[in-house]
Amino acid sequence: MNNTALSNEDESFWDDDARILCDVERVASVRLSAVANSIDQDGYYPADIMGELGQAGAFLPHLKAYGERFDAAINNMSAISRHCGSTGFITWCQDVCGLYMELSGNPALVNRMTDHATGITFGGTALSNPMKAFTNIEAMALKASKVEGGYVVSGTLPWVSHIADGQCCGAIAAIDNTDGSRSHEVMFMLDINEEVKLTKCPEFSGMEGTSTWALNLNEYFVSDAQIIADPARPFIKKIRGAFILLQTGWAMGVTQASIDACREVEVSLGHVNQFLHNRPDELEAELKDLHARIMQLAKNPYDTSKEHMLDVLDTRAQCSELSLKASQSALLHQGARGYLMKSKPQRLIREAHFVGIVTPAIKHLRWEMAKLMSEG
Amino acid sequence: MTHSTEPWRLFICRACGLIYDEAEGDPDSGLAPGTRFEDIPDDWECPLCGVTKTDFEPFERPQISAAPQTVAFSKKPGIVVIGAGLAGWSVIEALRKDDADIPITLLSACKGDRYHKPELSVAMSRGVSAEQLVRESAEDAGRRLRVKLITNAFAVGLNTARHELRTTRGTIEYTHLVLAQGSKPYLPKQLAADTCWHVNHLKSWGGLEKTLRAGPQRVAIIGAGMIGCELAEDLNKAGHHVSLINRDAHPLLALLPPLAASCLVDSMVQQGIEHHANAHIAGLEKAASGESYIVLEDGSKLAYDQLIAATGLQTDNRLAKQAGLAFDNGIAVNARSLQTSEKNIYALGDCISINGVACRFIEPIAHQARSIASSILCGDQQSYEHVDPVIRLKTRAMPIVLRGIPKPVGIWKTVTQNQQQLVMEQYVEGEQMAVLTMGLSSGSEAA
Repeated sequence: MNNTALSNEDESFWDDDARILCDVERVASVRLSAVANSIDQDGYYPADIMGELGQAGAFLPHLKAYGERFDAAINNMSAISRHCGSTGFITWCQDVCGLYMELSGNPALVNRMTDHATGITFGGTALSNPMKAFTNIEAMALKASKVEGGYVVSGTLPWVSHIADGQCCGAIAAIDNTDGSRSHEVMFMLDINEEVKLTKCPEFSGMEGTSTWALNLNEYFVSDAQIIADPARPFIKKIRGAFILLQTGWAMGVTQASIDACREVEVSLGHVNQFLHNRPDELEAELKDLHARIMQLAKNPYDTSKEHMLDVLDTRAQCSELSLKASQSALLHQGARGYLMKSKPQRLIREAHFVGIVTPAIKHLRWEMAKLMSEG
Repeated sequence: MTHSTEPWRLFICRACGLIYDEAEGDPDSGLAPGTRFEDIPDDWECPLCGVTKTDFEPFERPQISAAPQTVAFSKKPGIVVIGAGLAGWSVIEALRKDDADIPITLLSACKGDRYHKPELSVAMSRGVSAEQLVRESAEDAGRRLRVKLITNAFAVGLNTARHELRTTRGTIEYTHLVLAQGSKPYLPKQLAADTCWHVNHLKSWGGLEKTLRAGPQRVAIIGAGMIGCELAEDLNKAGHHVSLINRDAHPLLALLPPLAASCLVDSMVQQGIEHHANAHIAGLEKAASGESYIVLEDGSKLAYDQLIAATGLQTDNRLAKQAGLAFDNGIAVNARSLQTSEKNIYALGDCISINGVACRFIEPIAHQARSIASSILCGDQQSYEHVDPVIRLKTRAMPIVLRGIPKPVGIWKTVTQNQQQLVMEQYVEGEQMAVLTMGLSSGSEAA
């Protein structure tokens, strides 16, 4: 599909947001819809389709090299998630991993970015634990020690998505002083090779095709070529807002899919569904408001002001609340049909639950907003 | 075993957050209740995620700051009040007086305990603690007035079309919203929030009080407005060495004529307070010895132990901006109804502005609260009448009472001036704008 993208040498080729979105929508609706349940329940990891989405330009508009259009990246992610929330989620993983490469300024990583941005290579993000650790929700899981030419890192992360042998993910490890106090943290690109032990996670209720693994490192060597940021905190401060904002594309897609599911049965069930609350028009109005707010925030993705961060966190929290509400409504609208195990609303509810609990979960977002607000 | 008498400890799995409780053990994996962490075999695995005990670390139960429930849970949207200061609680009292049943929810950034804020600038010399200033705990007041409490929580978003308030403890619906969020200290750019104290709320005052309890200290107060002047006298009385840093030539520049201001300065100096006039802060400095200094623009330095900002207040505009509420130096409200630019949303107290002017005094709050209650409950949209409050400066050595608000262009006339009293009047084109009484006889009025 769409191999024209690759054959086109014109640099301005990637400038056309509308065309990219159209191509992404086509791949998503034709290819993803057919296998969404298999991805969600049977653990089919859609690497092939991710490759096609990459070639359509799904994973690149937010990168500086391609014009830093976060709005377009979010809309692409939303279009993908409308057909499969799991693929939407790994799109987010892929997108932020691309950000790490580009913003690292490390030539060895920047050189890997083009293949990553066009879906030739894949990679995710193992930042759930450090993001929580940085706001005092939990302790750092990976520990690093300085050695000649880099670091050695040990520790375990329970679930990291969109990784596999030959892929990579951004990770952060803490470096402690000899007296046990914290020196700083280092962020690096963790290349998944034979040194990395991946363990199958317990069965999830959904999102099984996200290639999510428990990851164990035992004296894993990180070379200078893998360093994203050292120290990590200033880098995280810079990208945190963008990192969280990008997720909204995924959440909006799940919400849109839920609205679609309500409407799918309007012809046959509209006469009784009219008595339900959270009707599709109402949900769509809220989604439209939210989308407008997100598009506005996407204009300044690296704004680190307190005001902007609060807006990003609040928007992300609202995305979770809305997707939960919408997916619940989708099931109620479809009634018995939606209660079938393989029905779309069942999958949407599982996806929305994931939107609500993945880092930053609703509770983390509120914790962090409270923290920001109380700082005066 | 030696550790058998120690209390049971908790350990958390760094990977997945599972908590191993020594008291409970992990019977499913053969660890009997009472198995100490040290005694767990190395090949034991976390029952949730499968990591080994090296990925566990000691765990202490974190504090939970949510308020206890004072009323039965209800999904029914009712009146939501933001802010548990004098304004917020006044509105709740007024609402409850006229309607015993209407659901009320109070959202507060702090614990929400009730105290009388004007006391904060005069309480240090009385030797009371923050706990002693609490007149009624939020929990007691919540039960008495049947108010649902959401404390240590912040409003972060407002959707007026859907009547939804987004907070850090979830999204709540309202029929009417009352903004009583107060104002926050305005700090000049030379003063970072973590370098100075303020006395804008009980928590911060309490922190200062605890610190000053250690013994006499050098306290620098930035700003010679009402709070700065009152606080200077109070802390001086409490035994501290106080320097009042005033960027203007006189204290209370907008309110007092030079003659009255110099009487006030004389009174302060007599008490032992240093008044630094025309003193502009360039920055703060910490010497290698650990000593802290204020550096003034003229290059001079002033050593201090504690620094207090009394540099004025401002209203946070985040919520108003987000919801598209008119904002003009404060949340703009209608002068008769105290309604904001949005129907069903009212505001009172320090956070509002009437015709572009903020009014941060205690006196009007009770009237405002009653008006809002009658507007919400009876639909009476005309019940508030704004009058300039009588301003009373609680400087006990030189009490000041000011009726009316002086105008910058006004002309002051001295009516009485003797050892005990100074009375002055201000006129603009023959019309009296303000009457000022300073000294002993006004003391009884100001009390």
